[in-house]
Amino acid sequence: MIQEENFNEKDSLALIESMIKKAKNQFSENGDSYLLWGWLVFFCSLAQFVLLHIMHYEKHYLVWMLTWVAAIYQIFDLRKRKNKLKVKTYTDDIVGYVWIAFFISFVLIGFTLGSYKLLNSGIWYAIVLVLYGIPTFLSGIILKFPPLVLGSICCWILSIISRYIPYDFQVLLLSIAMIVAWIIPGYKLRARYKSSNKSSLA
Amino acid sequence: MFKELDPILHSQLRLAVISLLISLKEAEFTYIKEKTNATAGNLSVQINKLKDAGYIDVLKQFKDNYPQTVCKITPEGISAFEEYVKNLQTYLNK
Repeated sequence: MIQEENFNEKDSLALIESMIKKAKNQFSENGDSYLLWGWLVFFCSLAQFVLLHIMHYEKHYLVWMLTWVAAIYQIFDLRKRKNKLKVKTYTDDIVGYVWIAFFISFVLIGFTLGSYKLLNSGIWYAIVLVLYGIPTFLSGIILKFPPLVLGSICCWILSIISRYIPYDFQVLLLSIAMIVAWIIPGYKLRARYKSSNKSSLA
Repeated sequence: MFKELDPILHSQLRLAVISLLISLKEAEFTYIKEKTNATAGNLSVQINKLKDAGYIDVLKQFKDNYPQTVCKITPEGISAFEEYVKNLQTYLNK
């Protein structure tokens, strides 16, 4: 530790650099939300495919009701996590707003396509995959986390692919998208969060 | 031409606190203590000096029935920090 009376200009600069670096290495994203939604959408899309094409169940879409349960859980979980945080960063705020914009856009597009009776058409999955890509890409750029950027690009490629495969199989593209865009990056975010917490305690 | 460095900021712990807060929206006292390796007493004194200079806002509240102190840099604090860094450059380029 430098003594206060010997604290010169060079020490000032070194101190500023080290403190800014410490603040920059502050990661509050632990990947939990990516894993929750990634696994949920993965499961729901697979289940819908099985219910519709193997079991020929008429109300196959009901499986998506699970997303409302997850949304309620997410609200409580985010509130709990926010209370535990010792620090708030501008990055967290911006990423939060990106996901709010995604959620609102998703609901509005779903409502609009639903009112035009287009939810059971090929266009729905193409749009959903494009939408998944947008917040994933932005979060990846803001958090400087390449796996999310890569995942978002995969979503957009899958959106193009959806045009060329039969409608009945398009729902499976959502499962693939979830693995590459949210599940794998989610586990990697969790690992980064754990290692950053370990090093800050060391 | 050397400009005098702001005496409020030209102190190891106060500069550490401001440098940390410049990149964050807000931080709890315990977080700042952990990152600066300062003692609670010394940190408390220096935070009060920064607050009196108008460089930071200090919010005392209760969270889960425990007292909590949250610090946030003010626009005056940001300007003072920027000016300090600018003046610092004149010394380092000599």
